Amino acid sequence: MVDPLFAQLSTLAASLALLFGLLLLWRRNLGSYVDAFQSQSVVISLLFCVVGYFGEDPQLYGVALLFVALKVWLMPRYLRKMQQRFAVEREREPYLNVPSSLILAGVAVILAYALMRPVVALSNLPTRGGLPLALGLIFVGLLVILTRKKAFTQVIGFLILENGITVLALLGTYGIPLIVELGVFLDALMGFLVMQIFIYQLHGTFESIDVDQLNQLRH
Amino acid sequence: MSILLDFAQGVLALALAPGLVGLVRWFKARLQNRRGAAPWQPYFELIKLFGKDGVVSNNASWLFRAAPYVVFGSTLAVAFLIPTIFAPQALGGVGDLLAVVYLLLLGTFCLALAGLDPGTAFGGMGASREMTIAAIAEPTLALAIFGLALEAGSTNLGQIVAQTLGNPALAVTPGHLMAFAALFIVTLAETGRLPVDNPATHLELTMVHEAMILEYSGRYLALIEWAAGLKLLIFFALLSNLFVPWGLAVVLTPVSLLVGVAVFIVKLAFLAGVVALLETRVAKLRLFRVPELLSLSFVLALLSVISSFVLR
Amino acid sequence: MSAVLFPLMLAGYAFGALAGLLGGRGSVGRWLVALGAGLGAGAGLGLGAGVIAGGGALVWSSPDLFGFAGGLQLRLDTLGAAFLVLIGVGAIPAAIYGAGYSEAYEDGRTALRRHPRQGAEASGFMLNLFLLSMSLVAMADNIFTFLFMWEAMSLSSYFLVITESSELGTLQAGQWYLGMAHLGFVCVAAGFMLFAGGDWAASFDSLRAGAAALPAALRSIIFLLALAGFGSKAGIVPLHLWLPMAHPVAPSHVSALMSGVLIKLGLYGLLRVSLDLLGGGPAWWGGLVLGLGAVSAVLGILYALMENDLKRLLAYSSVENMGIILMALGAGLIFHSYGLMALAGLSFVAGLYHTLNHAAFKGLLFLGAGAVLHATHTRNMELLGGLIKRMPWTAFFFLVGAAAISALPPLNGFVSEWLVFQALLGGFQIPSSEMALIMPLAVGMLALTSGLAAACFVKAFGITFLAIPRSVPAEQAHEATPAMRAGMGLLALLCLGLGVLPFAVVPLLGRVLAGIGGLPADPVVLTFNLSLQMPAGFGQMSPSLMAVGLVGLLALIPVVLRMLRVNRRLRLSDTWGCGRTGQTPRMEYTATAFAEPLRRVFTQLYRPTKELTIDFHPESKYFVQSIEYRSQITPWFEKVLYRPLLEGIRFAARMVRRLQSGSLHLYLLYISLTLVLLLIVARWL
Repeated sequence: MVDPLFAQLSTLAASLALLFGLLLLWRRNLGSYVDAFQSQSVVISLLFCVVGYFGEDPQLYGVALLFVALKVWLMPRYLRKMQQRFAVEREREPYLNVPSSLILAGVAVILAYALMRPVVALSNLPTRGGLPLALGLIFVGLLVILTRKKAFTQVIGFLILENGITVLALLGTYGIPLIVELGVFLDALMGFLVMQIFIYQLHGTFESIDVDQLNQLRH
Repeated sequence: MSILLDFAQGVLALALAPGLVGLVRWFKARLQNRRGAAPWQPYFELIKLFGKDGVVSNNASWLFRAAPYVVFGSTLAVAFLIPTIFAPQALGGVGDLLAVVYLLLLGTFCLALAGLDPGTAFGGMGASREMTIAAIAEPTLALAIFGLALEAGSTNLGQIVAQTLGNPALAVTPGHLMAFAALFIVTLAETGRLPVDNPATHLELTMVHEAMILEYSGRYLALIEWAAGLKLLIFFALLSNLFVPWGLAVVLTPVSLLVGVAVFIVKLAFLAGVVALLETRVAKLRLFRVPELLSLSFVLALLSVISSFVLR
Repeated sequence: MSAVLFPLMLAGYAFGALAGLLGGRGSVGRWLVALGAGLGAGAGLGLGAGVIAGGGALVWSSPDLFGFAGGLQLRLDTLGAAFLVLIGVGAIPAAIYGAGYSEAYEDGRTALRRHPRQGAEASGFMLNLFLLSMSLVAMADNIFTFLFMWEAMSLSSYFLVITESSELGTLQAGQWYLGMAHLGFVCVAAGFMLFAGGDWAASFDSLRAGAAALPAALRSIIFLLALAGFGSKAGIVPLHLWLPMAHPVAPSHVSALMSGVLIKLGLYGLLRVSLDLLGGGPAWWGGLVLGLGAVSAVLGILYALMENDLKRLLAYSSVENMGIILMALGAGLIFHSYGLMALAGLSFVAGLYHTLNHAAFKGLLFLGAGAVLHATHTRNMELLGGLIKRMPWTAFFFLVGAAAISALPPLNGFVSEWLVFQALLGGFQIPSSEMALIMPLAVGMLALTSGLAAACFVKAFGITFLAIPRSVPAEQAHEATPAMRAGMGLLALLCLGLGVLPFAVVPLLGRVLAGIGGLPADPVVLTFNLSLQMPAGFGQMSPSLMAVGLVGLLALIPVVLRMLRVNRRLRLSDTWGCGRTGQTPRMEYTATAFAEPLRRVFTQLYRPTKELTIDFHPESKYFVQSIEYRSQITPWFEKVLYRPLLEGIRFAARMVRRLQSGSLHLYLLYISLTLVLLLIVARWL
């Protein structure tokens, strides 16, 4: 009785997370990327609460709080500040145009379903339905990093990728131990700060955050 | 007997269509802080148009004069096939969801040809843009149908409705929700609403549907406008009755029929409000951005099909 | 009955061929040719229909003829009978049309090769030979007969293609066609050789019996060779290159026959080898066919959209429709490999129905294009327009064909596309998830080609026939001759009939593959009275009732309007000009402009090249004298696949050329050396 509700809620949350990830492939406006990331993080923290409730693991509430603090409040704040400095920038001409990247994302989700089939068959957790969607989110994050030119977008793509891994771990094993989770958060934070410095430097050197410009450093 | 009721519900849909268009306009006006014309204004417009002389271009051929009848006829035929107050009993076997899509394509095809006939650049441009949008919206429609048909075991509208009525839990699965979103975007594209096409514009930069029917006047224009309103009603009916079928009359008693009519009008009004809000909120997309929107809807439909495929 | 029909068929074609050679010029000769072809095709049609309805197989053999290669063996089973019916359906209207069309060749307007007098006659002879060889391919029962007739078919069609050899590009197109046809022939022959283990004289029966014993790898190689060989005939991407070259340059009734019938024989071969002789195979065979079909369908229609040459557009559209048929066939093979026989039967019925429909509407479209060409002497859509008023019958028939190919109800294209969709929808029953997941993608691609086809034919019909003529020849166009109109009318009627009466056709099609390759012996059960209903109730619709309803509504609405005393006055006036006076053809939309949005949307697939040359005034850069913009779309398989291949062949040819020194003594030396070598080999080895 409780199981179907759990399964439905977790699948719904995983689908929402994936849809917010797809928004990065659709929109061109950098501000909307930050909004998408923030909404996605909200959904994932809710998912943490849900899994903590049904899986009877109070530690996950703590992780959810940490998640909210870091990814719903702190990171989007800094990202918005950064984005306001480059307010004129938009993802005008990505390497792969919007319809093609969306369709490729769809095919990637199909691939994720095909890849995850044995895992889903073996698992007997109620959350197993959302596993392919989490893998799909990881693919989408990868696709964003590969096909978008602005460094800012690539940062958010990396963060989405990270979110995808989190969701995968959450749905697959009801989360990882708190200490590991803390370590992962710290890693993400460090990586994020390094990228911030990188973007500011890039902008300072080339007056644009187009990663293509790095080609000019060749000779 | 049931066949008469089927025809009656189609005629009711026909009668409600101009009111629906008027309602959307009225909502938009109120949202934009204007008074706006009353929701039954389009009825007066139709009466006026039917009373006017028609002007036909010298260059046009018989196709120009026949097209409004074909468009109106095919759209009306679709109205007879879809569930508005109840799932059509006798006529349900005549056409399924795929037949509905292709009948609507028949109307678009004829209208595009009629746009090319007078030999103006406006008509050609409208026809070209309309066919582009219709072509790119087709995969989404097909996949949404596929998803619905998978769950119901059939492409028959009656069976799809019955399936959702039978399992209420089905209505909130992610697959269903994503299919609804995809179909909503296609509705905007097919009926020519913002952000795909502006139904109130007369600038050639922004016209799609308006450009095709620019040469029409008199009773021809009345038929085409009515058909456009009916198409909007058909899409709204599909959106509401395939995904939220509660309120449809299951047994055909007078009480349930009246309840069905009332619930249908409420659903239409709700969707009209949503569309009006959307039209006030977003700007029209540039033509070459429309494929991006439609490919997003395609991916949504694809995801919905996959999730219902795998989670069966 | 059949004892009469078969000799009648042979006699009809022979008569037509002789009439072609000896009949002399003038309308008598042309009509005798048409009579012979029509008689032969009609007899074939009757024969095929009889076999399908009766269910049995008919056998003729003459082992003495070509006895060294196993003799001439013919066997007509239901699969071959279906294609005989197809040939009949395509050939009769084309023959009638051809009688009127070939008149253009007589007054020397299109001079042939070196002997203008043998122009129309040779084409009449070749036409009958072509039809006869196609019929016999469908009836062949051993390897030798099949290959012999296949080759005869290729050669006769080659001669037909180059009928108008004085036109620019015809001979080159013919060369491409011949080259690719022989490439296909080599693949098919190699496949058969592998199958029969080197035995030239093997009959299909022995192949069928020995198929199960072959190792799986060998079966797959045979299948791939058959797919390559028959696929190039059918026009699958990337082996389709000859199609858009050969179809436009051939006379229009020949184009109709090639598009409607010839390329379907590639399908026949594929079905015969993979399903009948090999008895089906692993799922990836069907998956490969499905994938190739989907790619052909989408690419075919995309290139059709960009064409301004009316007949090339129709040729690319044939590639698209063959893709759709292959999708149905591939789905059928997949279902067959998983043992879902009912669904397999449904898929094959859908594919065969689309084959029949395509012959009807594509034939009609090509005949219409031929009428336009006959009247205006140009295929370029940018120079046409306004023909609906000058050629009303042709325009009406072309409209029927365009609506049919866009799958609009209630015509035939709609019914077969509906069937293909239902077959693909059944894909969720496949046990293997990976295979099942490609079905949604296939459905999406099918829907995309359907939408694009509608756009393409709005362009084809609208730009060619509507609005104002864009050039003087278009202004002076005249209606087609009665013979041509009769041919087109027959096909239009067929399109309507196949669309409105599917319940008469589908049971017959269900019988075609009964008992072949492990499909159940009782035919696919599709029940109807007036509706088309699937097993397990998956979908139901009634095209006949829809047609009745549409016609009723179309008739009713004006009556109701009249009753309501609606204003019925009409004024004729100039087109609204936004303030300008006068309208010239240059103000109309062009074909290129119509397809421009789709070109932009799919630009990463098309990769158009753009060249912009601006001439400035010598005095100042601010005054522009002329601007020239040139854009071209070259299909990228031409760049990637064919150019390197052609370069390689030219290189090899240059190497071999060294042997040709022109010296008589050197040639004598070659001959003597070979002789001595042979003697040594025979004596000591």
